[in-house]
Amino acid sequence: MNRYLNFFIAFFAISGDLYAAEAGMPQLDPKYWASQAFWLILVFAVLYFSISKFYLPKIKNNLDDRENRIKDDIEDANKSKELSESKLKEYEKILEDAKKEVIKIQIDSKAKLDKDIKEKKEKIEKEIEKELIQAQKDIAELKKSSISDIHNISKEIAANIIEYISGDKLNESSIKAAVEEISKKNVGRYL
Amino acid sequence: MQQFSVYKMGPEINIGGIDLSFTNASLFMVISAAIILLFLFVGTKEKKIIPGKVQLIAEMFYTFVAKMISDTAGSKAKPYFPFIFSLFMFVLFCNMVGMLPYSFTVTSHIIVTLIMALFIFIAVTIIGFTKHGFKYLSIFVPSGVPAVLLPLITVIEIISYLSRPVSLSVRLFANMMAGHTMLKVFGGFVISLGLLGGWLPLSFSVALTGLEILVAFLQAYVFAILTCIYLNDALNLHH
Repeated sequence: MNRYLNFFIAFFAISGDLYAAEAGMPQLDPKYWASQAFWLILVFAVLYFSISKFYLPKIKNNLDDRENRIKDDIEDANKSKELSESKLKEYEKILEDAKKEVIKIQIDSKAKLDKDIKEKKEKIEKEIEKELIQAQKDIAELKKSSISDIHNISKEIAANIIEYISGDKLNESSIKAAVEEISKKNVGRYL
Repeated sequence: MQQFSVYKMGPEINIGGIDLSFTNASLFMVISAAIILLFLFVGTKEKKIIPGKVQLIAEMFYTFVAKMISDTAGSKAKPYFPFIFSLFMFVLFCNMVGMLPYSFTVTSHIIVTLIMALFIFIAVTIIGFTKHGFKYLSIFVPSGVPAVLLPLITVIEIISYLSRPVSLSVRLFANMMAGHTMLKVFGGFVISLGLLGGWLPLSFSVALTGLEILVAFLQAYVFAILTCIYLNDALNLHH
């Protein structure tokens, strides 16, 4: 600032001669000092009152409004954020519960299924065994009946053969005795 | 120095033997104040949450001055905010209007700046005494000074306090006047050196115009911030 002033003073000293014709510094002429002071005070007073009464409160209100609005908006946003976070937690909890339940259901149903399968298997096995026994019985019976059938058939065949060869009819009881004798010897080989 | 001369406009107004005629200086005070009021009127016409251009600039001025006051003088200075805002705007717009060619710079007159500075000085002194009583005199006795130096320091403090209105007014006045004088001198060189050599001073003139716009803003800011600092002394006492 001082350098600036010095520069100005030096400059003024040089240029002073150039403008000497123009009556020096009008600032130092007291002719209109009172007028300038009067108008300055008047104009500034009007300016001050209109600024302080009208414009500054308006600007302040508006700035406050904006600040409140921003504060409210931020508050709202925070509330929404909290709400959404709690909802998210709730949702996650529900999801986890559901998962647990699914696992439980899986385990339960598996156990039930296993049990069911086991029961059915046992039942079927029993039935199979029963049928097997029945079949064995049937086979045994069939064997017995087939042996007697074979006896009869072989008896008839024998009688027919004898009759064909010799032309005689042998009595049945002797044929029967002969067939039984032979079959007793050989039946073990076929059955 | 014709650009600084004051002349009467319209009829002579004479109250109690004092000439209070409307002059070109008065005219430019009125023009500056009118521009400020018009600007603030447009800036506050629409109360929008998302401001328009003029509203934004008005709000920027508001927050700029508000921040300046709260930074330098604290929260106690809030009641003086309208005054400092008006002062800053008035000095700034007077300086800026003075930058227009053929206009008149109100603040380039020592009487104008002196009256503002004296008003501030007297007001600050009254505020200091009403807030703190005779304790206000303690600003002349800074703490932490060795006892030997105390009388000297106190005298210096008193002189510096009393020279406040002079330094405040002369700073603004001299800056504005020096700038305009320099512009005029370089302008004169342009004419006298003619088409051949006039380009150098012309380019200086252009650069100086930019500098002067900066100075116009800076001096308004300095004027306002020094007022805040004086106010801080009166309100908070620590020096």
